[in-house]
Amino acid sequence: MVKPWWHILFISGIALFITLSVFLLFYPVPPPPVSDMKYARETLALARENEADKYSGNLYREAWAYYDSAMANWRSENERFIYKRNYDKVVAFAELSSKKALQASETSLNNSTNLKINLQENLKDLDNLIKKINKSFYAYPLTSEVRNNISMGKMLARESRVAFNERNYLLAEEEIAKSKSLLTSSYDYANAHMRSYFKSFPQWKVWIDSTIAASQENHDYSIIIDKFSHKFFVYLDGEKISEFTAELGKNWVGDKKRRGDKATPEGMYRIVKKIEDDSTGYYKALLLDYPNAEDTINFRREKEKGSLSTAARIGEKIEIHGEGGKGADWTSGCIALRNIEIDSVFKYVGIGTPVTIVGSMYNLRQALNR
Amino acid sequence: MKNKILMGLTAIAMIAILASCGKKPQVEIDATNAAIEAAKAAEANVYLPDEFAAVQDSMNAIMADIEAQEGKLFKKFGDAKEKLASTSALANELASKVAAKKEAVKAEAETLLNDIKTVLAENSKLVPKLPRGKEGAAVIEQIKADLSNVDAAVVEAQTAYDNGAFMDALNKIKAAKAKADGLNAEIKEALTKARIRF
Repeated sequence: MVKPWWHILFISGIALFITLSVFLLFYPVPPPPVSDMKYARETLALARENEADKYSGNLYREAWAYYDSAMANWRSENERFIYKRNYDKVVAFAELSSKKALQASETSLNNSTNLKINLQENLKDLDNLIKKINKSFYAYPLTSEVRNNISMGKMLARESRVAFNERNYLLAEEEIAKSKSLLTSSYDYANAHMRSYFKSFPQWKVWIDSTIAASQENHDYSIIIDKFSHKFFVYLDGEKISEFTAELGKNWVGDKKRRGDKATPEGMYRIVKKIEDDSTGYYKALLLDYPNAEDTINFRREKEKGSLSTAARIGEKIEIHGEGGKGADWTSGCIALRNIEIDSVFKYVGIGTPVTIVGSMYNLRQALNR
Repeated sequence: MKNKILMGLTAIAMIAILASCGKKPQVEIDATNAAIEAAKAAEANVYLPDEFAAVQDSMNAIMADIEAQEGKLFKKFGDAKEKLASTSALANELASKVAAKKEAVKAEAETLLNDIKTVLAENSKLVPKLPRGKEGAAVIEQIKADLSNVDAAVVEAQTAYDNGAFMDALNKIKAAKAKADGLNAEIKEALTKARIRF
């Protein structure tokens, strides 16, 4: 009996399907890039362990971007028909990821080591700068802004040391930079200010020599006030016989320019009045002949130049008085001594006793080293 | 003959079933990702960064395993499902651990804040004892500026603490403590130099 044609066709179809299935079953499927991806993950973990996210951020992010691309490609290849899959791109991305992660690891180690060494140096420099500021300007009257900057700079230096000790090098670097900027600008400002102040030293020297010489020639008393060291000296016959601590005007650095500037004047003056009654609010006082002729000329010149406003008035009533010993420069430009000291000075001096007020009796180098 | 045909068809059907029985465990993946996100929302990455990174590493490895299975003709996701479950459990555990760690950090911050306040109180008592004399005014002014900056740092740390950012507060408090201690040492040094008892 002859089988119908459709029967033969059906069997042939089944046979073809089975053959095809068996062929496909044993046809080599492209292997998934498991080991490449695993290696990429291991290198990424190593990079993170070496803090590449902090010290080699770009390379580390690149490595992750390649890993993500590898995963995305893998997913996309897996969506294709099994025999049409090609993992070459996945492998290439995984390899790039590993390569970048290893580079990031190495760079991070190098960067953090170099940064650590640099930070150690910077911290040392910062400490030296703070020491220099403390030595030279701790007692120097600076503006509250500069003083605040110094304070902030010192605080940031401490903060950066804490960050450094906790191996937070990036934060330490940031804080060191801020601290350095504040301290350097404050130091430069104070240094320039002090140098400019000491430019008048030759003039002060002339006044000092002349005052001491006059005391020697006249066998009389003379007073010299050194504003920088806050010292009040009494001379007799050209010899120093007494020394007291003087408290000055709040803005004692620089010559007095106008009324109300809280500066103590610089110049050669004389005592014009001894006040022991209630007309002084400061126990006892020795009124000086401020402003003298030179002060008046200088004041007018400054006004003409426009460096003083037209409303500015010249200062007056500069005294050496009592009620000192407050431990601060608090007067409006006068020189304050303790009551016991003004008592002592009162005994020596009389009307006409020379009083020379100078910025410093020593040059800048000497003054700083004293 | 009929039986042979039936056997062939059964074999093909079994192959088809086997090939398609491994279905990507999307539900488990989503659940694990959600658990990791919850741990992150609980700030596990801030308070327990190493443990959080380990969980993320596990998840990445599992996703790679899943893709490896997806690439096979006969997919098996049983292992991946188990790993996803354990990673999910780890992430959940991490989220609960964060609370304990946060409490520990909070307690440390609180102790340090109290310590700073003690040092600041001592500093305030010591300042009036500072040596008077030619340097008095400027020194006191400088120390007052320092004190005000330390106060500002403490206020900043306290604000972070009050806002619940305990780790940030702890770092700020540590820095403020270093500042307060440094200032305390500076004042004591000035007093010692001046032979003033404190």
